[in-house]
Amino acid sequence: MPLAVLFAAVYVPNFILQAIARSEPELRTQPLVIIDGPPPTYQVVAFNRIAELLGVARSMTKAAASQFAQVTIRSRCRIREEAAHAALLDVAWSITPRVEDAAPDTLLLDISGLASLFGNENEIAREIAARASAFGMSVHVAASSNVETARIVARALPGPTIVPQGQERRFLETLPVGMLSPSPELADVFDRWGVATCKALASLPLLSLSECVGQEGVRLHAIASGKGMRPLLLAEPAQHFEEWFELDEAVDDLESLSFLLGRLLDQLCARLSARALSIAAIHVNFKLQPAFDNAFDTSRDLLRVKSSARTFTCNLELPAPTRDGKLLLKLLRLRLQSHPPGAPIQTIQMTAQSSLARVTQGSLFIPTAPDPDKLELTIARIAAVVGEGNVGAPQLLDSNRPDAFHVQNFSMVAVASSGSNNHSKKESETNSRYHASPTIALHAFRPPVPARVQLQGNKPASVFFHGRSGKVIHASGPWRTSGDWWEETPWQEDAWDLEIVLSGESSPEQSFYRFSYDGLLDKWFVRGVYD
Amino acid sequence: MYIELHARSAFSFLGGSSSPEELARACATLGMPSMALLDRDGLYGAPQFYLAANKLGVRAHIGAEISCVVGWRYPLLVTSSEGYKNLCRLITRMKLRAAKGEGAIEAHELEHRSGGLICLTGGEEGPLAHALRSGGKEAARATLERLCAIFGRENVYVELQRHFSIEEERRNQVAVELARSMRLPLLATNSVSHATPAQREIMDVFTCLRRHRVLANAGRLLSCNSERYLKSPLQMAALFADLPEAIANTTELASRLQFTLKDLGYKFPTYPTPNGESQMEYLRQRTQEGMVHRYGTQNDRAHLQIQRELSVIEKLDLPGYFLIVWDIIRFCREQNILVQGRGSAANSAVCYSLGITAVDPVGMNLLFERFLSEERGEWPDIDLDLPSGDQRERAIQYVYERYGKLGAAMTANVITYRGKSAAREIGKVLSFDPETLNRLASLVSAWEYTDSNDTLTRQFKDAGLDLSNHRIHKFFELCQKVQNLPRHLGQHSGGMVVCQGQLDSVVPLEPATMPGRVVVQWDKEDCADMGIIKIDLLGLGMMAVLEESIQLIRAHHKEEIDLGHLPQDDPAVYTALQRADTIGLFQVESRAQVSCLPRLRPKCFYDIVVQVAIIRPGPIVGKMVHPYLNRRLGREPAESLHPSLESTLARTLGVPLFQEQLLRIAMIAAGFSGGEAEELRRAFGFKRSEARMKDIEIKLRRGMESKGITGEPQNKIVRAITSFALYGFPESHAASFALIAYASAFLKCHYLAAFTTAMLNNQPMGFYQPATLIKDAQRHGLKFKPIDITCSQWECTIGEASENFPVRIGLRYVKGLRKETALQILAQRHLQPFASIEDLKQRAPQLQKDELRVLASIGSLNFISNKMRAHRRSALWQVERAGRPAGELFEPYLRTENSDPSSLLSPLEPMNDEERLVADFHGTGLTTGRHPMAHHRAQLSRHKVVPASRLAALRDGALVRVAGAVIVRQRPGTAKGFVFLSLEDETGIANIIITPQLFEKDHTTVVHNSFLIIKGTLQNQDGVISVKAALIKPLHLSRAAAPAHDFY
Repeated sequence: MPLAVLFAAVYVPNFILQAIARSEPELRTQPLVIIDGPPPTYQVVAFNRIAELLGVARSMTKAAASQFAQVTIRSRCRIREEAAHAALLDVAWSITPRVEDAAPDTLLLDISGLASLFGNENEIAREIAARASAFGMSVHVAASSNVETARIVARALPGPTIVPQGQERRFLETLPVGMLSPSPELADVFDRWGVATCKALASLPLLSLSECVGQEGVRLHAIASGKGMRPLLLAEPAQHFEEWFELDEAVDDLESLSFLLGRLLDQLCARLSARALSIAAIHVNFKLQPAFDNAFDTSRDLLRVKSSARTFTCNLELPAPTRDGKLLLKLLRLRLQSHPPGAPIQTIQMTAQSSLARVTQGSLFIPTAPDPDKLELTIARIAAVVGEGNVGAPQLLDSNRPDAFHVQNFSMVAVASSGSNNHSKKESETNSRYHASPTIALHAFRPPVPARVQLQGNKPASVFFHGRSGKVIHASGPWRTSGDWWEETPWQEDAWDLEIVLSGESSPEQSFYRFSYDGLLDKWFVRGVYD
Repeated sequence: MYIELHARSAFSFLGGSSSPEELARACATLGMPSMALLDRDGLYGAPQFYLAANKLGVRAHIGAEISCVVGWRYPLLVTSSEGYKNLCRLITRMKLRAAKGEGAIEAHELEHRSGGLICLTGGEEGPLAHALRSGGKEAARATLERLCAIFGRENVYVELQRHFSIEEERRNQVAVELARSMRLPLLATNSVSHATPAQREIMDVFTCLRRHRVLANAGRLLSCNSERYLKSPLQMAALFADLPEAIANTTELASRLQFTLKDLGYKFPTYPTPNGESQMEYLRQRTQEGMVHRYGTQNDRAHLQIQRELSVIEKLDLPGYFLIVWDIIRFCREQNILVQGRGSAANSAVCYSLGITAVDPVGMNLLFERFLSEERGEWPDIDLDLPSGDQRERAIQYVYERYGKLGAAMTANVITYRGKSAAREIGKVLSFDPETLNRLASLVSAWEYTDSNDTLTRQFKDAGLDLSNHRIHKFFELCQKVQNLPRHLGQHSGGMVVCQGQLDSVVPLEPATMPGRVVVQWDKEDCADMGIIKIDLLGLGMMAVLEESIQLIRAHHKEEIDLGHLPQDDPAVYTALQRADTIGLFQVESRAQVSCLPRLRPKCFYDIVVQVAIIRPGPIVGKMVHPYLNRRLGREPAESLHPSLESTLARTLGVPLFQEQLLRIAMIAAGFSGGEAEELRRAFGFKRSEARMKDIEIKLRRGMESKGITGEPQNKIVRAITSFALYGFPESHAASFALIAYASAFLKCHYLAAFTTAMLNNQPMGFYQPATLIKDAQRHGLKFKPIDITCSQWECTIGEASENFPVRIGLRYVKGLRKETALQILAQRHLQPFASIEDLKQRAPQLQKDELRVLASIGSLNFISNKMRAHRRSALWQVERAGRPAGELFEPYLRTENSDPSSLLSPLEPMNDEERLVADFHGTGLTTGRHPMAHHRAQLSRHKVVPASRLAALRDGALVRVAGAVIVRQRPGTAKGFVFLSLEDETGIANIIITPQLFEKDHTTVVHNSFLIIKGTLQNQDGVISVKAALIKPLHLSRAAAPAHDFY
């Protein structure tokens, strides 16, 4: 008998692990363990059956899990989970536009009226499973005229499972009551009552139950009885398509890189194809291995705060939208051949812009500004040239370290409130009273200029820098600072204010300089000149 | 020459990172003749600094940095006794009016207390810098003028500090200019906050803790460099080469600081005698009265001893002290508070006669000189044991009332950074997340014991932490460095000091966290070092148990028990002790005691004294336990360590067990004088004794060599003496404890219901959990009734004699039930019994839903309706209904319905045995029903598991399987990595020994499982039964388990 309204639930068991294995299918046949948590206290959060048979258990430490020699250990990757979830949604949307995004690992679909497209409910369920499998995910699918029943059965049984109308209660009765996801308080009450299964809950008298535990109890009672009817909360289809790949060992040859790029492009094309969309542009962001620390043995780089991981971007604007993965791969290869990343690649982030145009309208009262996306793109382009962390606005850091600042990304600065203005005004007044003498401006050299300094009785006597030498007439200092001893990169510096007579090609020149001696590097630098 | 006159120690509580001793040592090493310690708002570190400096030949100047309400701190130096008194009173005044840890003076308060004090202008936190910051040079000039007006022009020094900071140098330039124009002297200081540059890291950590930051975001609050360390005179002279007078003035100022802590001016109060007689006369009268009561009129030996003691007391002018202690005892007796003196006072027949102690030193031949001797010239030490809780508080409040708020105070207890606290706080400032912090903190306990395989690197690796990680390595390093540095000031558990006149002029006082309490800024050791007399009023859980037992016996058995007159040779007591049937008994119930009792087999009171003293780290590490037991069992001759020591050690079969014996050995074998022996005694009882013991060891060896004692005998004697530093008892103290142990055994053997009830009502105390106490009492035939809302009281109570005194568990055992709620329930029940759960909820509105749920789940609501008995689940069903108000409209209807017994019916199934057991343990931590193991005995027997009670009947060496609930896990530091478990089943307790290798292999199983099944070899040695484990498996029988008492 055909069903009037029919729902399907799609559940990805062991989602955390599947999100990783999706882009690395070879891992499925190995004992695989996923760890998570703040370093250094990683714990096992997911593992496959092969690992379980070896003795791996949840909450084991990384150290304990690594004692099993054959086990492959991967860190949990939330970005890949997001991508897997997005892919799962694309599968669902390729079947029906009526999809509820119930949880990262669970989707609910309205599959009523799809018989003419896919066949009966069993065939629809199989089609969903097959499409998910094509996206690299193994899923449980259950169909029922009751959406909650479908959700719970999908979580419990591998499927595809079709729950005939009127048989919902029978399917649910042996399942633990915890599968209904009661609130912690109600779960505690059920535990005290000895109500362990859906059957036990469904057999409680409804009126008395409502008196005891209120509406949540009534709702769960209805679900346990297979009567929990509710409409779907439909999800809005996303326009953003992104895939990630993180490598354990960085790759630096184009062939290996092409293989991975091809894999990601195939995944993206499949997703867009499922949504009947095409690719208008591709943005690939590579995170590079910081492998050149020793190669840049210059004073400039040594003075930098520990460099963050560098990135390399490759953008591809297409004249006409396409879903041809091979063509896209070729274009990318060409681009990379002409502009190689310059370092082994650790992470690839690939974003596809779909062919649908973006429609936005600005406010009437705000002056025209560049499109934020375009501005971001422009900044990204500049950053690719001048280096990450070198674009933005400088901001002073709260540190005793001289000249400590970092470059912050540009952002719209709100007009400061009058209160804070008053405060800073007061502060500056106080300071000006104490520092009554006029302040001299220091013209800082960034990066500082390496120098050689000769001492006499612990004080600088002569200096050499920029190919010039100078005699120190007067030295004031040292102004000693040190800190960050708890970090791997502590600092220790003696600053000197020097009055110097510089000899040069023309006449001798007398100036005031700030010099510094880096105690850890045993090197001198010119920090700046007083204007 | 330069003298450092501005230094802070770690006693500035997060304002300095070196101990006063470290500073004194650094000062001596640098060749400075003197140094001043100026801790923040207190003289906390002054005694330690003074003593350490004295030993090193350095003169210790005293002072403090005093916070002012306006935000700066005055560095003040003491020149004379008057200055010291002023400083103490200034600190006391500001501390007592503020909350604990806070307080500041008003600037005008200095005007009345400036005599004998010298004021420095300070560094960045001083008044001068503050004035410069807020109002420039003119404000700074005004500040200096004000200071001159308060302290006098000759007592104000303009302080200059150079830490290589440009801001500081700017300030210095203004300061020099002002000083010159106002003709004030300049003074160079380094505002030291750590002894060495490396300690700056700890200083930064402390800054973060003080400012509630982490290192990553503390920014400019941290030190900008490591320059605030104690610099040598040469370094300082070089720094101030342009201002030599600033250096020269340090010596000039130091010569003006004449005061040292030697001139403290402390006097013990005089006891006001009622008829104007002298204190000595009054003491003689009281002692005479007591002597007649204790010894009768015919005991010449006692009479002679008392006369001898009285003459010593008179010579040392101590009658006031004895009368004051006697006065406290008299107050306790009048108020029916059980009290007993312990410690060396039990050596004194005068104390025995005055009722201060209960041990007869004449009968036991105890050495009076251990208590009081003419040559030592030191105040005697009397500790009083009182029932813990309210009774002790009454005694303390009496002392406050008697001597006034400023005449009596508790001694402080300096809480220092220890393993876990250090790990937590340092982890926090290093920004470790809570989970990592927990892991690190849990690792810390393991550091206390390490063997060669159990390296720290491995422990860290096992916990998933990598020591090669810079931050984790730093964490470990900092944890080691911060150990033993003071963290905050607590209150000693019972030490009180009293003073004739004003105690606040001797040592600053401050409020304790507990309302109505005042503490001095020094701990008991500092007080003793400074010659301040302390009386310890200690709370002892067992005293409270004894007191409550006596009351219960009076009420239920209609018998009066006088602990002073218990039959001394009760056979039941000795049988129980010999069988190690000692659960719940004072001092002899621990696992180690239990495995010693069947070997020692106590037959008389003195054997109990030995038993109490022998299981201590001192005798254990000193390897005295086995020789003593072997000699007792006749397996080896009772030879002394050296022929000259025979008479000293005769009573303990040639093995030294008591502190007195060790002192006597030092005197006989190494020729120690009375004073040196006294120094040794102090080192025994001293927390900071390690260094002292090393010095003493050198003296001992030298002394013995001069007497011809060399080689192994010398080593044995040294080992015996030095190991006592780890903790050993004086004989008199052991005798006092043995009395209490005997009394507890007597009450348990003859009045089990009263004793068990009192034990349950005074938890937590002792070695075992209430669940174990109940099972033990049940095995001795006592009946227990579960918690019942219709008849349980807050405390556990005893039932009718006709039912053989069953014990009803009190509501105090319901987990999560607040006492005030329980009292409200009892008050309502007293007015009228409850008709239903709804009725209970209505009439006890404080009752929370969670409390009701626990009450229902443990079956305490089963009998609430007198019409029909409910089961636990039906009560739980009702509780959920009662907890959800129906609203005004339906309320009357529901009330009628609830009076109907059928409303107690529920659709839920009753709990089965296992579920009831789990609910009992979750809701109360115990069960009055069958032991969890009893439910599975048939199954266990099929697996050849032997019940604990049958182990004694098996032969030594037999292979056995035992199983039970883990009630104790121990890994004592003295046991070389061995782990001891106690497994309880329904028949008794099986003792398990686990080798370090097996523990390493099965660590998780042993530590994380509540029930274990163990296969191993039975060891039956001299009646001590244990199983040496070979195979350990978890036993998944029940979710019901009481927490084990873990020490590892």
